[in-house]
Amino acid sequence: MSAKMNLIACLIAALLLGCAVPTMADEAVDKAFDALKTYDWGTDRNVLKPLDDAVAASHGDAAARAALAKQLAAVLGTDATQAAKDYACRKLSLIASAAEVPAIAPLLTDDKLSHMARYALERMPCDEAVAAMRDALPTVKGRVKVGVINSLAVRRDAASTGALVALLKDSDAQVAGAAASALGDVGSSEAAKALSGFVAAAPDSLKLVAADAYLTCAERLVAAGKKLEALAIYKALNKPEQPKHVQNAAKRGMLAAMSAKK
Amino acid sequence: MINLPFSRRRFLGGAGAALAAPYVITSNALGGEGRPAASERITMAGIGMGGRGSGDLRGFMGHSEVQVLAVCDVYKSRQEGMKRHVDDKNKNSDCTMHTDFREVVARDDIDAVVIGTPDHWHALISIAAMKSGKDVFCEKPLTLTIKEGREMVDVARRYGRICSSGSQRVLGDYGGLARQVQKGELGQIHKCYCDPGPPPVDCNLPGEPIPDDLDWDLWLGPAPWAPYNAFRCGRAYGISRKGFRSWRDYSGGMMTDWGGHKFGGAMFALGLDETGPTEIHPPDGEEHKFLTYKFACGIEMMVGGGGPKYEKAEGNVPGLTWKPPTHLLERDYRGNGGLPGDVLHCIKTREKPFRDVEWAHRVATVCHLGNICYELNRPLKWDPVAEEFPGDDEANRMTWRPMRGPWKL
Repeated sequence: MSAKMNLIACLIAALLLGCAVPTMADEAVDKAFDALKTYDWGTDRNVLKPLDDAVAASHGDAAARAALAKQLAAVLGTDATQAAKDYACRKLSLIASAAEVPAIAPLLTDDKLSHMARYALERMPCDEAVAAMRDALPTVKGRVKVGVINSLAVRRDAASTGALVALLKDSDAQVAGAAASALGDVGSSEAAKALSGFVAAAPDSLKLVAADAYLTCAERLVAAGKKLEALAIYKALNKPEQPKHVQNAAKRGMLAAMSAKK
Repeated sequence: MINLPFSRRRFLGGAGAALAAPYVITSNALGGEGRPAASERITMAGIGMGGRGSGDLRGFMGHSEVQVLAVCDVYKSRQEGMKRHVDDKNKNSDCTMHTDFREVVARDDIDAVVIGTPDHWHALISIAAMKSGKDVFCEKPLTLTIKEGREMVDVARRYGRICSSGSQRVLGDYGGLARQVQKGELGQIHKCYCDPGPPPVDCNLPGEPIPDDLDWDLWLGPAPWAPYNAFRCGRAYGISRKGFRSWRDYSGGMMTDWGGHKFGGAMFALGLDETGPTEIHPPDGEEHKFLTYKFACGIEMMVGGGGPKYEKAEGNVPGLTWKPPTHLLERDYRGNGGLPGDVLHCIKTREKPFRDVEWAHRVATVCHLGNICYELNRPLKWDPVAEEFPGDDEANRMTWRPMRGPWKL
């Protein structure tokens, strides 16, 4: 029997036995994962191309996608470089599920990697991703904290309302401003109540942030069919102590709310 | 902040700090030499003073009613270069220099900003300016992601701000053919071709020492942290891997750069710039030679063949309901002096500018959809009303990018 026939016979036997036969693509992916261990800024980006391709090709193959996500998440717990973990988070942002949250979450408190952890978590539709960011909120500070608040804002996380309300009094103006803005995005009745007080008490540096958050909140309330609550906000902002463009926005919002179908 | 036809100058209405602004008492402020008096001027600032941004600002300065009060750039040397030019024009030394755009948008004495930064900053700065009551001219491509564009539109409408994007080519270069399409002179169009160029790629350049006159953290802004490299942030044209336009973190590549022109021209011609495609197909070497957008009206737009150019339907094409959008023959530059003249006219009158943010956002969305399709390399369905990929979790994740703190849309 020729070598070619032997190979074909082996492949048929393997398929019949249900064994996984390594393909060239699998080998390239394995090699790319190896390269990721030492990958850094300045490394040829093409060494990771098989991973890019594998992520794209895994669409519609839940098992392959889960396996890839698991391997990428495993990189985060190693001593791989910031660049390698940055890459893993980017790919996880596209394919990760709740299973990867425990591997990503610890990075939220790492000054250098917190953003890339959010890069993955903020885009993941599962509740576990949002919960991880919510849980990290009390443990982070400064710019990292502002980033986490901003991600919770993007996800409009109503469960963070209590924590965000408390942060309106934070001594770091950026944190307080981010919390106000996030409450605007949450856009609930409870958020509106907190913002009502903040608009009146905000320091000069945050007055516009407060007004914009309140306007955003009103728009969310209109969309939720709570027109009366929204109109109360617009009325409160249509006052001489607000800048002209805020007053005009309030008037415009009032008209839009009154003509809204809901 | 301009409040309707020229009853303006907020500081006269009570902003104390602005009352102290020195230009109020200069002879220049009294008008003369063909310039309107200060109370009739539009005060502007330029943010992003590289080649394109400074060119745009100079274009606005060619209009007598414009007075530039401030320039801003993360490179100190660019601030200084543009300040000299502005001061020469104003015949004073009052133009202030800023590294951080937040100082500029916080000023009460500036009516409008001209934004010419790299693309990853466009939405954030535009939104911050509009929330502070400023009108905006923002270079194309309008955005880095689809959600940035929708947020820009929402904020512009919330505050009633003028927000115009760039692309002088939509009307200037491609307008003649567009008018023929709109009049129906080319028949019932079925296909159009536009080739802006390739998508961006990922950057992994090594670190280099940061130049003394650059605030690198502010250059990166909302983008993931990365070490400085001259080719990461350079101004080189195209996907040369020597400038920011090459890299996915900062730009949509040529797809968005020239897409703003070419898709912009085609979507204006065809009346498609208040909607979007419903399907996007990657090139497959078979049915789709080029990346192809399909619109609900039956129009197919191909990313190839130069363009914009248009192909009329031969015989009866099933599903083709497109008709020449004759109502768009009314849409034109207003005022005098091309795109800057149109923007200035609309700042005064509060009319919609020719490159209004909604239309520019729809064009940018087509660019981004193409880039997403290239990256995922599979056919996509798009809902242009909800602005999402129906039931496609993976593609929907690509409609925005989480921003580095403290930045937020």
